[in-house]
Amino acid sequence: MGVTLKAISKAYGAHKALSEISLDVSDGEFLTILGPSGSGKTTILRIVGGFTQPTAGRVWFGDDDITDVPTHKRPFNTVFQDYALFPHMTVEQNVGYGLKIKGIDRKTVRSKSTETLDIVGLGGFLDRYPAQLSGGQRQRVALARAIVCEPELILLDEPLAALDAEMRRQMQGFLKELQRNISTTFLFVTHDQEEAITMSDRIVVMDNGEIEQIGTPKEIYYSPKTPFVARFFGENNMIKSDFVDGQLRTPFGEIALPASINKSKRPVFAALRPEKLLFGAAKSTISIPSIVKEVIFIGSTTQLRACPLAAPDMVLIVKMASDPNQVLPKKGDQIDLGFNAQDLAIIEVTQ
Amino acid sequence: MTPRSIKIALFMIIATVPFLFVVVPISAFLIMSFWQMDGAQIVREFSVSNYVDFFTNDSYLRTFLNTLWLCSRVTAVGILIGYPIAWFIWKREKRAGSLLLLLFAMPLFMSYIVKIYTMRSILGLNGFLNKILVGVGILDTPSLVFLYNQTAILITMSVVFLPFAILPIYLSLDRIPQSLLHASADLGASSGVTFRHVVIPLSLPGTVAGALFVFILALGDFITPQMVGGPSGFTIGRVIWSQFGLAYNWPFGAAMGAVLFLLALLLIVAAAFAASRQKV
Repeated sequence: MGVTLKAISKAYGAHKALSEISLDVSDGEFLTILGPSGSGKTTILRIVGGFTQPTAGRVWFGDDDITDVPTHKRPFNTVFQDYALFPHMTVEQNVGYGLKIKGIDRKTVRSKSTETLDIVGLGGFLDRYPAQLSGGQRQRVALARAIVCEPELILLDEPLAALDAEMRRQMQGFLKELQRNISTTFLFVTHDQEEAITMSDRIVVMDNGEIEQIGTPKEIYYSPKTPFVARFFGENNMIKSDFVDGQLRTPFGEIALPASINKSKRPVFAALRPEKLLFGAAKSTISIPSIVKEVIFIGSTTQLRACPLAAPDMVLIVKMASDPNQVLPKKGDQIDLGFNAQDLAIIEVTQ
Repeated sequence: MTPRSIKIALFMIIATVPFLFVVVPISAFLIMSFWQMDGAQIVREFSVSNYVDFFTNDSYLRTFLNTLWLCSRVTAVGILIGYPIAWFIWKREKRAGSLLLLLFAMPLFMSYIVKIYTMRSILGLNGFLNKILVGVGILDTPSLVFLYNQTAILITMSVVFLPFAILPIYLSLDRIPQSLLHASADLGASSGVTFRHVVIPLSLPGTVAGALFVFILALGDFITPQMVGGPSGFTIGRVIWSQFGLAYNWPFGAAMGAVLFLLALLLIVAAAFAASRQKV
């Protein structure tokens, strides 16, 4: 069974945290709600978990309206951002808490807690207290505590935010694998685009209490529907354009687009990923003569900033794999930048 | 001067304050408790006779044990009333809670004597309590049972020392992160189960501190028994006071004071030990 939000609004006094959010969380999927802080993503999680009530709208679980069902009667479990481990209980007691409350006998609680702690790799830490664990270990205990009750849905509130980069990468892989193994629905909240892209089946991008776009990571990355989404996922060349006689008129010339693209919207941004803009490649269909402004070595990639001759105020960003043997242009050089028309994402300008 | 010797010098200067005002007086009365009276004269010779007298004298010992029993009841009443009040304040919205807390802490800003006089007038024959009880119809005529006995001491001390129970309990409740309550509910616990398994254990240190405050304050209080206790309200505090103020047997008073002091110290150490074993 999946969770459905129907026209959920939440206001704190005059401040609108959510405005008429509708969302389907399908059974067994890894759905990520992504947005900057203050976008309302945590509020959605809190409403699904029952920690706060929506001002308007209903929450459904399968065929049941659970809007008024209190937290402790919802078949969901949460991994909290600060882990919220009980400081006066051992690791084992923390993990077994939910089972014990359900009245399950002590032996089963013990074996299930131990089993679950083995899954998260903390088999030897049964008798430790949370204060004696590292951040990453606490995170795993919180995870074990949430999955041990075999909930229908697991809510994860930025669980990786407090971990260091290396630990975070490890946990990303672990979480994704865990989700596949126990085939439980994960509703994951984060502000980290990379995290969302690498882990999710679908991503909900939020801004200002509204949903900007819902889609698979690839859809979100390559076919953004709004300028916010186009800018939020890494760098993007946002080329302000118009449609004239079925042609895209850009500052550096007119471009013929494939027939499949709806050419009625205007004005538009033609968004082009920096890695889709090629330098010195012959196979591109469209070529833009430009002057190099900057060459930045970033490590595995090298970034080039250049201004088209036809539009000297505009800066185009090119991202390419670094190659020590490649002879790169220098500042002031004239080069040809190329791309293919089908790599453009056409986004309506909303203001 | 090296930085190290400056540090030591500074420490010595700062340490004189607690030394002069805490260590010296306590040592003085501890020493005095080993002296004796000869007529009206203090004999400065070491002897444990004061302690032997105290522990072998039936009426002193009984008063002492009665006082312990009284203080235990004051503590129990203080916690049983103070905990729900602290919990109630904690559950309010921040602003209403602060206001309530201020209200309950208000008696701390008032003079101790004023509070006791107020209690005496409330408990008396024409007092507020009798008027209400007669008015409601529980009593036919105003009763004398509320004043000049052990019960009066119990009621007065419980009321006067209540803020000392409420404040530490509230502080320990306030330190419980909201997310722990959410986590407990999330794992299927009703608010009653959460209260038993999360709130009570995590507020235990504050509750113990509150109990200690009330018990120790009640133990040393000799004014309340004197003002509202009447002839039957004799407590060890009053006995000690009478040794200094009436009998002029300072060494004996000091010995009883030392017993009280050591008892309080023992309780504090025991509580601190218990708290250090908690993994919070």
